[in-house]
Amino acid sequence: MGFEFRYLTAAITLVLGLTGAAHADQLADIRKAGVLRAAVFDSNPPFGLVDEKTHSLVGYDIDFAKAFADKIGVKLELVPTNPANRIPLLTSGKVDLIVADITITPERAKVVDFSTPYFVTGQQFLVPAGSPDKLDGYATARIGAVKGTTGEQALKTRFPQARVLSYDDVPLALASLRNGSVQAITQDAEILAGLLAAAPDKDKYRLLPELLSKEEIGVGVKKDETALLAEVNKILVSLEQDGQAGQIFERWFGKGTKAPEPRNFKIVAP
Amino acid sequence: MGLDFTVVVRNLDYLLWGRLAEGELGGLLLTVIMAVSAGALSLLLGITLAVIAWRYAAIPRKLLFLWAELIRGVPLIFVIFWLYFLVPALFGGGIPNALSVILALAWFSSAAIMHSVLAGLQALPCSQYEAGIASGFTEFQVLRWILLPQALKNLIPSFVGLFASLIKDTSLAFIVNVPELTMVASQVNSRTQLFPTEIFLSIAALYFILCSVLSLIARSISNR
Repeated sequence: MGFEFRYLTAAITLVLGLTGAAHADQLADIRKAGVLRAAVFDSNPPFGLVDEKTHSLVGYDIDFAKAFADKIGVKLELVPTNPANRIPLLTSGKVDLIVADITITPERAKVVDFSTPYFVTGQQFLVPAGSPDKLDGYATARIGAVKGTTGEQALKTRFPQARVLSYDDVPLALASLRNGSVQAITQDAEILAGLLAAAPDKDKYRLLPELLSKEEIGVGVKKDETALLAEVNKILVSLEQDGQAGQIFERWFGKGTKAPEPRNFKIVAP
Repeated sequence: MGLDFTVVVRNLDYLLWGRLAEGELGGLLLTVIMAVSAGALSLLLGITLAVIAWRYAAIPRKLLFLWAELIRGVPLIFVIFWLYFLVPALFGGGIPNALSVILALAWFSSAAIMHSVLAGLQALPCSQYEAGIASGFTEFQVLRWILLPQALKNLIPSFVGLFASLIKDTSLAFIVNVPELTMVASQVNSRTQLFPTEIFLSIAALYFILCSVLSLIARSISNR
């Protein structure tokens, strides 16, 4: 959570306080409006990306957002965003839900409420082949991370001596690993796996098995919207039970994908 | 690593007009529309304010200068941020994201245009104004028929510089995910992940062409 971001949130909270824009029940408002507005990524495959042929937003997060709208029985409006803007979008009332690969953290939980996790992962290091195996070997290295992500925070906490360089997206971070500006880059395991699988020079790099931190991805809901949060949790559990959650995972992380990985979590009631 | 521009060719329609077929403007087309509408708005606002500052040299001019100072002292990207998040929070949403960026750009550029136009008016010899008044024109008629036409013609090179900046500043809309040229290029880059050089070189060329066309049009107008 960056410096500017905290100021922005403070400003928005102030404005909301002044205008008294808080609603009693957002779920009722969504049903009344007939539209569910979800903040999703447009540049973060496979969670959210623009499809090359249809030019529509697709991805793991988008499939979940569609399922929420279907089950609530309303239309879905996708609001594309980036890591730094997703919480302000929710707090300023421009969206109803954040379904944008957002990791549950205590700091973020002060500003938004989180659903039960619908994706569990960890952050790994991508390094040039022949680099040290242990993460501790990078305690004083220059390490690339993506701006506004938990990986950036985890690095600063675990390796205060390391020089953390923040990039706007993963391709930029990889580019700086290629040209030697950083000795490692960190991001969620499957994003790095996908990146590596697509790279023409993949033999020159490898993923370290050790995890920097465990990441649980949840749906972000505005604070104290208990009815909406309960509905989201109920839908998530039902998607797990009827197998849809598994199908969505299979579509984006299964055998047919660029970077297949096993599903070693289940969505459970909070 | 050799450059492979097929990624640009494959995504050219998306880069040029985004999801136009689905009724959503995007890409280069949206960049042009944003630049043209922000340019027109800022010209209108800037000239109006310059006329006020010219006519009322006392307190109104001081207030307008202070206002321009405030705008110029803040990075444009902040103005874009505020309009994107605070306007919906204050007025309950409703304005499209691209429009909020157009308003931010127009507001920002109008301050520079006001200063330019005022300087252009003041640069004309006093005798122009005096001759107009002596011939029985009202103050407004002097401005409308004698001063503004000359000043605006002299200001064309300065406007070209401001509008070229404006075209390039539309790329700041990527910070709020408005699908203009820079944003759609970064979407394509994030999906393909391997061709950032090719993609961003190509869109830099598109911006360059756009700004060159503007210069050519301006030159033909001032030669007329």
